[in-house]
Amino acid sequence: MRLPTLLGLALTLVVALLFAVFVGDQGPWYFAWVIGTVMIVLISGAGAVLMDAQNEQNPSEEV
Amino acid sequence: MEPISSEVVDLSRLQFAVTALYHFMFVPLTLGLTFMLAAMETVYVVTGRKIYKDMAQFWGKLFGINFALGVATGITMEFEFGTNWSMYSRFFGDMFGTPLAIEGLMAFFMESTFVGLMFFGWDRLSKPAHLAVTYLVALGSNLSALWILVANASMNVPQGTHFDPETMRMQFDSIVQVIFNPDAQAKFVHTSVAGYVCASMLVMGISAFYILRGRHKAFAARSFRMAALFGIISTVAVITLGDVLGRLVYEHQPTKLAAMEGVWRTTKPPYEPWLAFAIPDDAKQENDLEIGIPFVLTPLVTHSFTAPITGMKELEDQAGPRISSGIAALTALKAWRASGSASDLAAFNAHKADMGYGFLAARHAPGQDVTAIPAGQLDTVVNETKPDILPNVFVTFWAFRIMVFLSLWFFAVFAFGSYVSLKNRLERNPLLLKLCLWSIPLPILATEFGWITAEAGRQPWTVFDLLPTYLSASTHSVGYMLFSLAGFALIYSIFIAAELYLMFKFARLGPEEHGAHARHDDPGHEDGLVVALGE
Repeated sequence: MRLPTLLGLALTLVVALLFAVFVGDQGPWYFAWVIGTVMIVLISGAGAVLMDAQNEQNPSEEV
Repeated sequence: MEPISSEVVDLSRLQFAVTALYHFMFVPLTLGLTFMLAAMETVYVVTGRKIYKDMAQFWGKLFGINFALGVATGITMEFEFGTNWSMYSRFFGDMFGTPLAIEGLMAFFMESTFVGLMFFGWDRLSKPAHLAVTYLVALGSNLSALWILVANASMNVPQGTHFDPETMRMQFDSIVQVIFNPDAQAKFVHTSVAGYVCASMLVMGISAFYILRGRHKAFAARSFRMAALFGIISTVAVITLGDVLGRLVYEHQPTKLAAMEGVWRTTKPPYEPWLAFAIPDDAKQENDLEIGIPFVLTPLVTHSFTAPITGMKELEDQAGPRISSGIAALTALKAWRASGSASDLAAFNAHKADMGYGFLAARHAPGQDVTAIPAGQLDTVVNETKPDILPNVFVTFWAFRIMVFLSLWFFAVFAFGSYVSLKNRLERNPLLLKLCLWSIPLPILATEFGWITAEAGRQPWTVFDLLPTYLSASTHSVGYMLFSLAGFALIYSIFIAAELYLMFKFARLGPEEHGAHARHDDPGHEDGLVVALGE
């Protein structure tokens, strides 16, 4: 991994941590919205990927 | 100044309610569909499977129709504050205008800019860049909602502002207090996630329609699963945040809470039942035909088994001293503005917290001037004002219940839908698919009833405990209000008809019109992150 990429990721991590500390303290529900929305998007996406895996293991026309 | 006629106030309220409720038929889908598109596109970028690009593009088209009409109906509302609510705008404009301006300058511009890139950038941007654009659209649309709800929360639980007797209006103190107002936080998350539920039901319902017809099965099954999972978590979040909001209403807006729960007399915990059914009678101040679930109300509202909920009759009695104090505040304020004397200002400051109740009493004073109340008539005016502190209980009670019952229905549908989808047995459950299809409008209906609960329950105030609604309207004629109301209703109905026509048209056409995708057993592959990482 190149140095600028590493620095970029490190900076993102620091900003994310500062965001979590400040917003988590001052605006817990805003923080919950950020975390919750990310979780909803990821779980929904994981469900689709799981469907692809299920179809590969057990090919069927039924849905 | 001539008092504003009650007909004009009622018509102003009706016009704002009509335009707001029309507007909010479009908003929740925008809030939710953007993040669902982002989820679909994320899967496309990660797996490289073209079907997910088709999904993002197809559902994106439905989002586009909705977005355009949502913007068109939203802009007029901001002008209504100036045209129909000029007294409110003068009193609270410093405070209310700030979040609205930020919404326009930051969130709306951001959303509008990136919407164009999202629609027309598929072949011009790299996959990660387009994905970033889609996320920015989602963020922008939800930030728009954030600022509107921050503004709304400042009317329900005013914070970061104070009344200035010199300018005779609320002055803005702290943006941080306004943004981090607990009511704004809970309301934003509740509303935003309610939008996720609306979008989930739309995607799930239309996907169910395709599966029932045996069309686009691969596309529909994936859309259904993503929407069902999106919906079930969102519904749990909506219910959780509804509970948080209820707790805040209990703390800050006791009249609204008592009306929502139909509590006329202070409760005796822990037995108090939660009323699943009742017919509140505002005139008699009691409920008919009560059906309740014992021991539920106290922990549900207060999060304890011992705290009582103050009933509306007791709240009326408690308002008496505040009304007297408010009359004293306005009397001292008028005297201070005439004399500039420090003692008058001190007298005003002593009663300032109850000033809004003085405004409320002015309705019953000669010429709407509390200083003109004869000494012997003071108690009469106070007693006449007391019932004014209560909202319309029947409307608040039932709007709240319809929203709650619908949310439980969504939970059941999404939970069952998720389970059946994860088992790949959708086609074996046509009843579920039909229920999903017919449930499409219900979340939008639930959000409308949520707003009716919030806003009807806030009455008689525009700014809670500070400015009554009857003093907030502009001094228009009844004819002007009727004409403009009819105009709005007509134009907005045309918008709704256009939205429904386009939605039905594109939903019936289906995804193949947007580019044929692969069969169920071969969802198509392009280079994705998984492929790039050597899948």
